[in-house]
Amino acid sequence: MKKNVMKKMVLLLCLAFMMCVVAGCGGEATGDQPGVTDEPGATSGDVIKLGYLGAKTGAVANYGIPAEKGMIMAIEEINAAGGVLGMQLEGIYEDNKGETSEIATITQKYITRDKVAALVGDPCTGLTIAAAKIAQDNEIVLFSGGATGTGVVEVGDYIFRNTLLDAYAGPIVVDWMINEQGWTDVAVITSMNNGYSTALTPVFVDAINAAGGNIVIEESVNDGDIDYTAQVTNIKNADPDVIVFTGYYTEAALIMAEVQKKGMDINMIGGDGLYGLDLGKLGGSAVENKVMFYCGFSSDTPSPETAAFIEAYRARWNEDPDMFSAQYYDAVNILAYAMTEANSADPKVFKDYIATLDNYPGVSGATTIDSETREPRKGTVFLQTPVQNPEALEGWEFKLVEAIEVEV
Amino acid sequence: MDAFLSQYIDPYYLRIMILIGINLILVLGLNIITGVTGQLSMGHAGFMSLGAYTSAILSVQFGTPFVVSLLAGAMVAVVFGFVIGIPTLRLEGDYLAMVTIGFAEIVRVFFLNFKPGGKAVGLSGIPQETNFALVWVLVIIIIYFNYRLLNSRTGRALFAIREDEIAAESSGINISKLKVMAFVIGAFLGGLGGGLYAHYMYYISPQDFGFMKSIELLNMVVLGGMGSIPGAILGTTVLTLAPELLRVVAEYRLLFYGALLVILMIFRPNGLLGDVRWYDIRQRLFKRHQSERG
Amino acid sequence: MLLEQLLNGLTLGSSYALIALGYTMVYGIIQLINFAHGEIYMIGAFAGLLLVTAFDVNIFVAILGAMVFCMILGMVIERIAYRPLRGKSSRLSALISAIGVSIFLSTLMVLIRGTNTTRYPEDIIHQTTYTIGSIDISSLQIVILLLSACLMIALQLMIRRTRIGKAMRACSQDLDAAALMGINVNRIIAFTFAVGSALAAAGGVMVAVYYNALWPYMGTMAGLKAFCAAVLGGIGSIPGAMLGGLSLGVMEIMGVAYISSSYKDAIAFAVLILVLLIRPQGILGQKISKKV
Repeated sequence: MKKNVMKKMVLLLCLAFMMCVVAGCGGEATGDQPGVTDEPGATSGDVIKLGYLGAKTGAVANYGIPAEKGMIMAIEEINAAGGVLGMQLEGIYEDNKGETSEIATITQKYITRDKVAALVGDPCTGLTIAAAKIAQDNEIVLFSGGATGTGVVEVGDYIFRNTLLDAYAGPIVVDWMINEQGWTDVAVITSMNNGYSTALTPVFVDAINAAGGNIVIEESVNDGDIDYTAQVTNIKNADPDVIVFTGYYTEAALIMAEVQKKGMDINMIGGDGLYGLDLGKLGGSAVENKVMFYCGFSSDTPSPETAAFIEAYRARWNEDPDMFSAQYYDAVNILAYAMTEANSADPKVFKDYIATLDNYPGVSGATTIDSETREPRKGTVFLQTPVQNPEALEGWEFKLVEAIEVEV
Repeated sequence: MDAFLSQYIDPYYLRIMILIGINLILVLGLNIITGVTGQLSMGHAGFMSLGAYTSAILSVQFGTPFVVSLLAGAMVAVVFGFVIGIPTLRLEGDYLAMVTIGFAEIVRVFFLNFKPGGKAVGLSGIPQETNFALVWVLVIIIIYFNYRLLNSRTGRALFAIREDEIAAESSGINISKLKVMAFVIGAFLGGLGGGLYAHYMYYISPQDFGFMKSIELLNMVVLGGMGSIPGAILGTTVLTLAPELLRVVAEYRLLFYGALLVILMIFRPNGLLGDVRWYDIRQRLFKRHQSERG
Repeated sequence: MLLEQLLNGLTLGSSYALIALGYTMVYGIIQLINFAHGEIYMIGAFAGLLLVTAFDVNIFVAILGAMVFCMILGMVIERIAYRPLRGKSSRLSALISAIGVSIFLSTLMVLIRGTNTTRYPEDIIHQTTYTIGSIDISSLQIVILLLSACLMIALQLMIRRTRIGKAMRACSQDLDAAALMGINVNRIIAFTFAVGSALAAAGGVMVAVYYNALWPYMGTMAGLKAFCAAVLGGIGSIPGAMLGGLSLGVMEIMGVAYISSSYKDAIAFAVLILVLLIRPQGILGQKISKKV
C-alpha cells in the first residue's frame, strides 16, 4: 500500500513539474515586455524595437557575433543622437544557433510577443528565407545584412537585403583574374555544407567558362573540417594557376596553410565570405598577399563613412569590424533612415522608403535598391588581400589590390 | 483553422505547440525502436530527412497534393527503415548505433550533393500545409495506435526483446521479424514527422537533420523514460520547451540546457516516468472504481 | 601520390586513434559511450594553447600540462556526472548525462573565448619538409606519428604489465567480481577516465598544432569519428581502437583522393557499415557468446 502511495506521489510531482513548465512559459514571456500594445508591428510608447537574427552559439556563430556588435553599435549611436521620430530604438538579441526551427520560432516571438517593427538578419541565406516567410506573412520588414543567395527578396515586398550580390561581382573578378593576371587554369573548391559556398560556386564556374578559363579540378571541403591534406594533394597534382575558393575565411586560411606546407606557390581568389581578420591571423604567411577576395567596401582606402565606422567600432569593441558588422550596422541605419523619411515606424509605410533607396552612403559601400527587383546594387568592387601590420589593432589589415567599377 | 486559433492563442505559443506535436510524432517513432525494442538508434534524423525531402520535393517540383507528398515521404523512410532494420539481425548495441549514425550521415551527405534538393542552400517555397489541428489529430491517432500496439501480444514481444533477446527467442518470439518491424514503424513515423516539419517550416536544409538532431530526439526518449508513452510525451514537452524557457538566461542558455540533462538524469536515472508503472496505477484505479460500485 | 595520400591518412588516423583509445578504455570497463570525450580533446587543445601563450612554455611541456589538466577534468566529470548514475540506471541514462556534459563544456568554452578559430603561434615548433622520392613528409608529421606510437605503446604496457593495468582488465571483465576481489572499483574507473582524458588532450594539442586550428566545436565531429573508429576496431579493444583510428583516417583520405571529395564522409561511413556487416564485432573485437 505504501508503495502505491509513493507511486502516486511521483506521478503527482511529475504532473506538477509539467504544469510549472507550461505556466512558466506563459509567465516569463509576458513578464518580459510590460506595456506592449496589441497590434503587431505597432510600437509601444517611446520605443521602436528591432529584432536581431543571427547565431551566437553553434557552427555559424562566427558571423552572428560580429553582426550583433555592428547592430548594437548602430542602435547606440542613433539613440545618442536622439533616436528615430523622437523615439529610442531597442534591439532584442536572441541566439538562433544557426538552426531553421530556432530562427522560425524566434521570428514569431519577435513579431507577436516583442512587437518589433523590423527584423535585421540573418547572415545565412537559408535561415533568412525561413524567417522572411514569417515576416512577410505578418507584414513586418526583414532587412538582411548577409544573405547573398537567391530566393530571399522573392519571398515578398517586406523583404530587403544589403549585400554585394555575387552575380554582379563574381564575373568582374573572374575577368580580372583570367584576362589581367593570365591565370587560366583554375582549381575550384566548394564547401559542401555551406549554402553561401554552394551558391557562389556556379557563379564562378559560369564566369570562368564564359571568360575562356579552364577548370582543371573541382574539390569539395566541409565547414568545420580540419584536414585538407587529401584535397590539396589532389590540387597539387592537377597543377592549376590559381585556386578559387567560395567559402568562408576560416576554411580558406586552413586550406592555404596546407597549400604552403605542400610547398606550392599559388594565389587564392574568393568572395566576400573571406572578409574576416581571422583569415590573416589563422593563415599567417600562407595567406599574406596570396588570398584575394572582393568586397563592397575597403578599409584600406575607406570612404569617410567607412573610416568613421571603423574608428568607432575599434573604440567600442577593441577589435576590427568584419563584413557582417558593417552590413548589420548599415541595415539598422537604413531602417532608421526609412522610418524618418516615412515619418512612421509602421512597416507598411516605411517599407516603401527602403524600396526607393538611392545611393545611400553606407559604411559597407553606397547602396541603391533596384526599384524593380528590390535587390541592392553597389557601385564598386574592391579586391583586397590580408597583410601583416604590427601597428594594426589585431596585427592584420586588408590591403587594396584593385578597385573595379561596376556597371549596374 | 490556425488563423482562427491565433485570435485566442499567441501565434508564438501556437508555433511551439505545433513543434511539440511534430517532435512527439518523431519521438514516438524512435520510442518504438529504442525505448520499447531496445535497439539503440542514433540516426533518427535520417528518416526525418528522407521524409522531409521526399515530400517537399514532390510538393514543390511536382505539385502533388499534401497528403500524397506526406505519405510518399513516409513510405520512402519505411523502405530505408526496412533496409536499416536488417543489420539489426546481426549487430547489437553500439555496433548498431554506429550503423544508424552512419546511415543518417550518408543521408545528410547525399542531400548536400542532391541538386533537386538545393544542396546546402536548402529547399524553400514548400507549401505551408501543416497546421495545429492536423498535427495534434495525428498525434492523438498515433498515441492511440501506440497504446494498442504496446498492449498487444506484439507489443509485449517487443518489450521482451529489449529485456532479454535469448529468452524472448526461446519463448517462441520471432525476433528477426519484430526487430525489422520496429524499425519500419519507427521509420514511418520519422518520415511522417519529417514531412510535417518540411511543410511547416517553408524551408529545409540538410543541416536541419544532422547528428545533433538525432541526439536531441534520443534525449527526449530517454529523459521521458524508455518505452513509456506518457514518458515520451513528457520528455518531448520538457525538452522542446526548455530552450524557449531558458531564453531568460540569454547566452547561458545552452550551459543550463546541458546541466539540466545531467541533473535530470542524476535525479531520475530511469527517465522522468521510466519506473512509473501505469498498468498498476490504472489497474488500482479501475478496481477501486469497481469496488465502489459493487 | 598514393604514398603521400597514405601518409596523410595515417597522420589523420593517428589523431582519431588517440581519441578512440579513451573511448574504448572507458567503454571496456563501464560500457559507457562517453560523449564528452570529444570535448575533453577540445579543452586539452585550449589548455595547451594557454600554456604556450601565457607561460611561454615549450610545446612538449604544453602537451604534458594539457594532459595533466584533462586528467583532473576527466576525473571530476566522472565523479559529478557519471558516478551517481552507476548501477542505478540503464546505459542510456549515462549516455544522456554524457551528452549534457558535452553541451555544457562546449558552450562554456564559447562563453569564455567566443567561437572563432584560432591557432598556435607559428614558431611553436620548427618545421622542415623532407622529400623522400616523390613524397613530402614534414617534421611535424614524423613527431605526431612517433608521439602517438609512444603513447599507445606506453598505454599497452601499462595495461598488460602493471598492477593497476591488471585491475583495469579485471574490472572490464566483471565489475562485481572485481569488487569482490578487493579492487577499489571506483578508483579504477576514475583512473581509467584520467588516462583516457590525458590521451585525448595529447591528441588535441597535436592536432591543433599540426592543422593550425582549434575552436570550441572541434570536439563534436572528432568525437563522433573517434567513436566510429573505436567501434570499427572492436569497442573495448585497445589495439582495435588504434587500428580502427588509423584505418578510418586512411579510408577518409583515400575516398577523397580516388573517389570524390564531396562524398567524403559518406564513403567512410559506407565502408564502416560494410565492415561491420561482415564482422559484427569489429575488426579486433572478441565475439562474446551470449550466456543463457
